[in-house]
Amino acid sequence: MDSSAYISLRDVVFSRSGRRIFDGVSLDIPRGRITAIMGPSGTGKTTLLRLIGGQLRPDSGSVVVDGHEVPRLKRKALYAFREKMGMLFQSGALFTDLSVFENVAFPLRVHTSLPEDMIRDIVLMKLEAVGLRGARHLMPSELSGGMTRRVALARSIALDPELIMYDEPFAGQDPIAMGVLVKLIRDLNSSMRLTSVLVSHDVPESLSICHYACIIADGKVIGEGSPEQLREHPSDQVQQFLQGQPDGPVPFHYPAEGAARDFGLSGGVS
Amino acid sequence: MIERIAAFGRLGLDTVSSFGRSGRFLAGVLGGVPRPATGFPLLMKQLYAVGVLSLPIIVVSGLFIGMVLALQGYTILSDYGSEAAIGQMIALTLVRELGPVVTALLFAGRAGSALTAEIGLMKATEQLSSMEMMGVDPLRRVVAPRLWAGFIAMPVLAAIFSVIGIWGGMLVGVDWLGVFEGSFWGNMQSSVDFVDDVLNGMIKSVVFGFVCTWIAVYQGYDCVPTSAGISSATTKTVVYSSLAVLGLDFVLTAVMFGDF
Amino acid sequence: MAQRTTEIIVGLFMIAGVAALLVLALQVSGLSAKSAESTYTIYANFNDSGGLTPRGRVSMAGVTVGTIESITLNKETFQARVKMSIHSDVDNIPADSSAVIRTSGLLGEQYIDISIGAEMESLKEGDTFYSTQSAMNLERLISNFASGRAGN
Repeated sequence: MDSSAYISLRDVVFSRSGRRIFDGVSLDIPRGRITAIMGPSGTGKTTLLRLIGGQLRPDSGSVVVDGHEVPRLKRKALYAFREKMGMLFQSGALFTDLSVFENVAFPLRVHTSLPEDMIRDIVLMKLEAVGLRGARHLMPSELSGGMTRRVALARSIALDPELIMYDEPFAGQDPIAMGVLVKLIRDLNSSMRLTSVLVSHDVPESLSICHYACIIADGKVIGEGSPEQLREHPSDQVQQFLQGQPDGPVPFHYPAEGAARDFGLSGGVS
Repeated sequence: MIERIAAFGRLGLDTVSSFGRSGRFLAGVLGGVPRPATGFPLLMKQLYAVGVLSLPIIVVSGLFIGMVLALQGYTILSDYGSEAAIGQMIALTLVRELGPVVTALLFAGRAGSALTAEIGLMKATEQLSSMEMMGVDPLRRVVAPRLWAGFIAMPVLAAIFSVIGIWGGMLVGVDWLGVFEGSFWGNMQSSVDFVDDVLNGMIKSVVFGFVCTWIAVYQGYDCVPTSAGISSATTKTVVYSSLAVLGLDFVLTAVMFGDF
Repeated sequence: MAQRTTEIIVGLFMIAGVAALLVLALQVSGLSAKSAESTYTIYANFNDSGGLTPRGRVSMAGVTVGTIESITLNKETFQARVKMSIHSDVDNIPADSSAVIRTSGLLGEQYIDISIGAEMESLKEGDTFYSTQSAMNLERLISNFASGRAGN
C-alpha cells in the first residue's frame, strides 16, 4: 500500500437498485497529483466520487481519505470534513438565484465569519484565477457552459481545499473551453498543491494531464498506472477503451438472436 | 393475478415508506434551527415569494367569492324576509370555512406548485448535491426557510381573504342590493364570535399552511430529478394538498363547530 | 431584488395581515374593549327554555343588559334553570319583574327579555326571577290555530 496515498479504497462493494455497481474495487489515489478515473459510461464513476465525499455509504469495504474512515464519520464530522474538499459537478450546479460573485462567496459566508471586505478580496482572487473576475455581477443564466464550469471551479476552490474532484469536466466542451479547463486543472493542482481526482471518459485529454490513471469497468478496476504504463497495458479491454475501438471485449452488437430469424432469410440455422 | 396482488402490495408499501421518508424529512427540517443572521434574510425572501406574490390571486378571489355569496345569499334569504341576516351569513361562511379552505387550495395551486418545481429543479441540476458537498445542509438552508414562510404566510393570507370577501359582500349587499348597512354589520357583529369563529378559522389556516407547505417541499425534495419527475411531483403537490386540506377541514370543523 | 426592498414589502404584508385580523376582531365580530365588565348573577326558572343557548342575549326594553351564562335542568322541579350575568350598572331591576323568552324576527335566535315590574326593591346577586314566561312553542301554536282555539 502506497503510504503517501491520499485516498484509499479497499474492496469496496456497492449496489444500487439491485445492480452491483462496484464489486470489490481497490485503488489508491496519490497525494498532490492529478489522478484520472476513466471507464465506459454508466460504470459508476460519479458514484465513486460520491463514495469518497461521503454522500453514499459502501455496502462493504473501506474508504479512507486522509486517514479518515469516511463511511464512519458522523454528520457533523462529515460536514467539517467536506470543507476540505471541493467538487465540480458536471453541470456546474451554480445556484441560479445568486450572482457569480455570490456563488463563489457562498462557501466563505457559510463556513467562515470573515468580514465582507476579506470575502470580497478572496472571491475576486478566485475569479481571477479562473479568468472571470470581470464577470462577477452576471447571473448564472447569462453564462455560457464553459464559463459556468469555470465559476463552479472558482467556487470549489474558495475555501482552499486539499482535494478537488471533477465530474466529467470535459463533456461537451468546445476546443477552446477544453483548453482553458485543462490549463486550469493543471495550474491549480501545482500552484495550490491539491490532490485532483478527475472522472472522465475523454481519454486523450485525461491522459494528457494526469499523473496516474485508473480504468474501471464492470465494477472492477481493470487497469491502473501512469499514462505510459497504461498505453503499454496488456489487457485487451484496456486497449479497446484507450484506443476507442468499436468492437472488442465490449462487443459492437447488443446481444440478439440470429440475424437469419429477424430478416426472414430462409435456410440455415442461426 | 398474483402479479396484480403483488403490485398492489408494493404500492401500499411504497406509500407507507413515502410517509416514513416524509416524516424523517420533516424532522430533519425542523430539527436544525438556522442561525438568525443567515436564517432571517432567507426567511424574508421566502415570505416575499410565497406570501406577497400570492396576494393578487387571494385578493381577487376573495373579492369575487364575497360578492357571489352576497348575491346568492340575498336571493335565498329574501324568501324568508331575512335579508338583513346577509352580513352574518357572509361573515360566518368566510371566517369559519371559505377563508381558510379556499386560501389553502389557492395557495397549494400557486405557491405550493412553485415550491415543488423550484426545489425539484435544484435537485435535478445538482444544486442540492453541491450544497451537501460544500458542507451545507440543504434541508436547513433551502427547505426550512420555505417551510416556515408557508407556515407564517397562510394565516395572513386567510385573514386578508376573509376581510376582502366581507368587503366585497358589503359592496354587493349594501351598495347594490340595498340591504341596510346598519343591520348588515349589526347582525354580523352579534353572531360572529372572535374566539369561536375567527380564532378557530385562524387555527384551521395555520394547520392547512403547515400541511400544504410540507407536502410541497417534500415532493420537490423527493422527486425523480428529471423533467418528467418534476412535472409529476408538481401535480402530486396540488392533488395531495387539496385532498389533505379538504379532509382536515372536515375533521377540524367537526371538532370545533360540532357538538362532540 | 434588493434585500432592503424585500424586507419592507414583507413587513407591509405582515402589517396588512395583522390589520385584517384587527378588522375581523373589531368590525366583524364586534369584540369590544370593555369586555372585562363587572356583572352580577341572577337566575330564572322556565318550564321550557326553548332555543336559548349560553352566550345568548338578555335585554330590557330592547337594550342588551347581560348574557346567558348557562342552562341546566333542575331535577326536582323539572324546570330549566337559566343563569344570567347582568351588567353591574343595571342594578335596579324591580324584584317582581318577569323574564320572558322572545324570538328576534320570525326565525331568529331566542333571547331573554326582562319585563319590568313595579316593586321598589331590586334584584340582587343570586336572586331568582319570580315569574317567567316560557318559549313560544311553534308546534303548539300551529295545532291551536288549526283546531281553532284562541289564546293559549
